[in-house]
Amino acid sequence: MRLATFSGLLVLGLGLASIQSANAASIYAGEAKAATVCSQCHGIRTPSADAPFPPLAGRDVEYLKTALKQYRDKTRKSDIMNAIAGSLSDDDINNVATYYAKLKP
Amino acid sequence: MNTTKKRLFKSVITGLAAIILPLGVQATSDTPKDMHQLYEDNCASCHGSDHGGYLAPALNSDKLKGRSPTSLRSLIMTGSFDTLMPPFYGRLSDDEIRGLVKYLQTTPKQANPAWTIDDIKASLKVYVKDESTLPAKPTYQINSMDDVIGVAARGKYGRGSGSKAVFINSTTHKQIGEVATGTAAHIIDYNPANPRWAYVKTDTAEIFKIDLYSMQAVRSVKTGYNGPGMGVSRDGKYIMAGSFVPHNAVILDADTLEPLKTFELEGIDPDGKMVSSDSGMILGTPFDDIFAIALENAGQVWVVDLKEGFPVTKIEKVGRHLHDAFLTHGGRKLMIAAYDDNIVAAIDLKDRKIIKKLDAGCVPHVGGGAAVEVDGRTLGFGTNFGDCEKTVVSVWDLDKMEVVKQVPVAGGTESPAAHANAPYVAVDIISKDRRARTIQLIDKLSLEVVKTLDVGGHAYFPEYSADGKFLYVSAGYSGDEVVVYDSTSLEKVASVQMESPAGIFSHGRVRYMTRGLSPDEMKGAK
Repeated sequence: MRLATFSGLLVLGLGLASIQSANAASIYAGEAKAATVCSQCHGIRTPSADAPFPPLAGRDVEYLKTALKQYRDKTRKSDIMNAIAGSLSDDDINNVATYYAKLKP
Repeated sequence: MNTTKKRLFKSVITGLAAIILPLGVQATSDTPKDMHQLYEDNCASCHGSDHGGYLAPALNSDKLKGRSPTSLRSLIMTGSFDTLMPPFYGRLSDDEIRGLVKYLQTTPKQANPAWTIDDIKASLKVYVKDESTLPAKPTYQINSMDDVIGVAARGKYGRGSGSKAVFINSTTHKQIGEVATGTAAHIIDYNPANPRWAYVKTDTAEIFKIDLYSMQAVRSVKTGYNGPGMGVSRDGKYIMAGSFVPHNAVILDADTLEPLKTFELEGIDPDGKMVSSDSGMILGTPFDDIFAIALENAGQVWVVDLKEGFPVTKIEKVGRHLHDAFLTHGGRKLMIAAYDDNIVAAIDLKDRKIIKKLDAGCVPHVGGGAAVEVDGRTLGFGTNFGDCEKTVVSVWDLDKMEVVKQVPVAGGTESPAAHANAPYVAVDIISKDRRARTIQLIDKLSLEVVKTLDVGGHAYFPEYSADGKFLYVSAGYSGDEVVVYDSTSLEKVASVQMESPAGIFSHGRVRYMTRGLSPDEMKGAK
C-alpha cells in the first residue's frame, strides 16, 4: 500500500488526530444524532413554520455547544431541553453542534 | 424502533418524568367538551374523529388502559421518533396535555359520527365564483402538463401552514405552485379529461378542486371526518370519495363538487358477519364508466356504474381487510391487497368476479402499484409492510396471474414506483430504524435489488417523472425535503424543501394508468 511508504506522515497524522480527538467532531455522527434527536422539533434546515422551536442550521458552533452543555447541567432551564440534553455525551454535543453549524439554513 | 432509539427515547421519557413529577398534579378546569374540541383540533386528523385510529393508533379508554399518564404526557410533549407524531411541547399548555391524557383514558371509541349528504352540501366552499375568469393556459413555463408532479405535504403537525399540495415542474425540479389545504394533504388525483384540474384530498376528508393553470383552489367540500379514498371517473365528470369515519362514500360532480349520492358501507365479511366498513381504495378506470371501491372490513369490492341511480354490483369474499389496489390490462383487471390474508386478489371488472388470489408477502400494501412490460410479459410489483420474518417484494405475471418471484428486500415496503423508460423499480423501505431512510432499486430484468439509496428522513412514496428520467422520493417525517435522482445514474440532482412530504403523484399517471406501463399500450388497450 502506498500509505505504508508514508508511515512517517501517518504517525504525524495520528499524532495530530489524537491531539484533536477531544474536539474533532464528526459531522456524520452529528447528522445521525440530529436526525434521531434534534430534528424531531428543530427540523434539519428549518423547524415547522407552526412550531415554537428555534432553527439550528447555520448557528454559531460555540453557541450551540455552550447552550447544549448549559441545558445538560441545568444552568439553563427548560423542562424538555434539560431532559433531552441530559442524554447527550460531550462527543454527541460536539458532533451535532458542528453538523448544524455547517448546514445552510 | 431499534434498540438505540428505544433506549434514547426511554431516557428522554425518564428524564422528563423526573422533572415533571415534582410539579405535582395540577387541577384542570377543562370540561370534556373542551377536550373533545382540543382532540378534534390537534389529534383527530391522524388518530380518527371516533377515537378509533386512522393513520395513527386508536386513542380511547380501552386502548390506553393501564398506560402511565406520565409517559403518555411525555409522549405528547416530545412526539415519537420514527413516526409522524410531532412534539406538542409549546403548542399545547401543560394543563391541556394533562387534560387530554385524562380525557383519552376515559373516553371509549365513539359511535360512527354522522356526516350526511346535507352536511356535505353545506360544507361546499367556492373560492372562484366564475371559472371563466381563470387563465386559458398555464401561467408558468411548462412544455406539457404531464410534467407536473404533485407532492402531498403533510405539515409537521398534520395541519397548519405546512399542510399543502406542492406542485413541481419535473423537468426543472423547481416548484411551480402550492395550494394550502389546512390539514395534511394525502391524495392528489388529476382529471383525465381536462389537464387543468387536480383534486387533493386531506386526512380530514376535504376535497379541493385545484386549477393547475393558476395554481389555486377554486372549490372545496368536506366529504367526511377522516379517510383518503378518492377516484376520478375516466370522463372526468365524477369523483368518488370514501371515509374511515364515518363509514360512507359519496359520488360528487367533479365540476361543482356537489354531492350526488351517498353510500353506506356495510356488508357481510368473508367470515359471514355483517359489518360496517371503512372505505379503502377508490379507482376510476379507463376501461369503463365505473368506480371500484374497496370495503376494508367487509372484504368486498363494489363496482358502481356511472348511470342513473348509480347502481352497485357487490363482489363478496375478496379478502380480509382490503386496502389499496392498482389496475392492469387497460384497466379491466384490478389487483387489490388484503392485509389479513396476505394476498392480492385479481378482479375482472368486466365480469365483476374474482379471477385469482396471489401470494403477496406479509400485510400487502401495494400503494399505487407498479406494472412493467419485460420480455413480452406484464409484471406487477407488490409491496408489503412485511410485519414478519420474510421481507419481500412480490412480482406477478399479470397475464397468467401467477407469482413469478418474491424479491428479498431490506425491510417492509409501502409503495413501488416504475416507469416504462426507467431501468429500475423503486421500493421504499419503511422498517422503523435507519432502514427507513432508504429506498431500494430492483432491476427490471434480473428482478434483484441492485442499489440502495440513503435518502434521509423517512424515505417513502417514490415516483418517476412523466418522462421517466427522474426519480422523486419524499424524505418525510423530519426529513422535510423531496429528493430527486437521475433514474439511470441514480445521482442526486435536486432537493425541494417542504414540511413532512408524503405521497408524490405525477400528472403522467392519467396517461399510463398504472406506473410503469407505457401510454402507447394504454391507447392500444382502449
